[in-house]
Amino acid sequence: MARYGMMIDTRKCVGCYACRVSCQMQNELPVEVSFIKFHEIETGVFPNVKNEIIPVQCQHCEDAPCESVCPTKATYTTEDGIVLVDPEKCIGCKYCMVACPYQARTQDHLTGVVEKCRFCVDLVAEGKQPACVSTCISTARIFGDLDDPNSEISKAIIKYNAKPLRQDLGKTKIYYVR
Amino acid sequence: MVWGTIIAAYLFLAGLSAGAFLTSSYISRKYPKAVTVRMTGRFISPILMGIGLLLLIVDAEAGLKNPLRFIYLFTNFNSVMTIGTYFISFFMLAAFYVALMELLKKDVNKWVEYIGIVFAIGTAIYTGFLIGVIATVPLWNTAILPILFVVSALSTGIAGTLLVSGIVNKQVVHQVISVKKIHLSLLAVEVLLIFTMFLITSTSNEAAAESVSSLVSGEYSMIFWIALIAVGLFLPIVIESLELINDRKMSQTNVGLQVAAAGSHSIAGTLVTETSVLIGGFTLRFLVLAAAVPIAFL
Repeated sequence: MARYGMMIDTRKCVGCYACRVSCQMQNELPVEVSFIKFHEIETGVFPNVKNEIIPVQCQHCEDAPCESVCPTKATYTTEDGIVLVDPEKCIGCKYCMVACPYQARTQDHLTGVVEKCRFCVDLVAEGKQPACVSTCISTARIFGDLDDPNSEISKAIIKYNAKPLRQDLGKTKIYYVR
Repeated sequence: MVWGTIIAAYLFLAGLSAGAFLTSSYISRKYPKAVTVRMTGRFISPILMGIGLLLLIVDAEAGLKNPLRFIYLFTNFNSVMTIGTYFISFFMLAAFYVALMELLKKDVNKWVEYIGIVFAIGTAIYTGFLIGVIATVPLWNTAILPILFVVSALSTGIAGTLLVSGIVNKQVVHQVISVKKIHLSLLAVEVLLIFTMFLITSTSNEAAAESVSSLVSGEYSMIFWIALIAVGLFLPIVIESLELINDRKMSQTNVGLQVAAAGSHSIAGTLVTETSVLIGGFTLRFLVLAAAVPIAFL
């Protein structure tokens, strides 16, 4: 069993939105719905300023708040640590959307089911990379097994000292280099 | 706003329904002769809860399209919503049974009524727990919120029951004077709870401070000060106090007693008070949902 995670190097991200588009295509989402949201933040005072582009999607929390509040058990975590939504069980109560610390969930307005990043489970099962990772033009994204100390992602997290967005909001599986 | 007006209406109706059930149980013991008030409380309780549940179903789009999925609501015991589903189910069954017995003019099994009382309290407090456990929204994530919702549930429950009873039969309102006293104290406690919640919560972190300032001086300040504080709390506190003073005077003179017995006095005060309490109760739920600011994660 793996514990899948992702590392996003925001220093490499140019904000081209290619990951978002490929995600929409992979998951067959309408144009206005996306699992990846882009946040841009400026820090510092002129002339020492920094502009960051931070793509945010489901952080695949350990002990995910969305999973514990879901009354129908539609949200669940796979053995590989991927948080998923069973569209056949979701009633669309939106409790998970309220509970998600990253506002990473969106509602499909055709079915009413609440959806989010799935770490492209189908592609990963075939041994491929998630769509956002393979399409990234600047290789800002690395995907792999966090439990394997020899995986590319584990080494990169140590090398770049990558950290979750907010460690105090609980353990997550997406690490950021900022 | 992920949860909007529909959910606010549901939280309001659930509290109102539970409050009406508790009011009627209290009335049936304290004032066995106040039949109209008791019956009104018992009838409106399951009806209002039913309307609330319908609103909830309409808001849960995916379930609305596949109604069998609602059965899964009973499965996750870690979720406050699942616990609430059980509370509401038991409460609805008891409230429906009590209303049916009232309709058939049969005796209500007191144990079923006790169960109803327990789950009515459960339902009222659940509406606060539901959003209170959401750590992402600091305005909700306070221990005082469920208490505020329970107090408001009792207050709207009394208001709803007295309003409908008053319309049905205006003599009854002055039969249940201790309910009016309880009502007045509940309203005063509500003011205190809102003040305490805002004062303490606004110092807990930035998101909470933002929520509170949007209510007190920002985007929602008009609704907050006019619909909740002035209409929903201040007005009923003033009128209710005047009514209680007036009632005391009436009971001290012969003329007053005759007027009260004949039912020829005006109940305009009661109608205005109870309506404004209901407006305030809905506004409270609406504002608490609307002013939710999640913790900034970046």
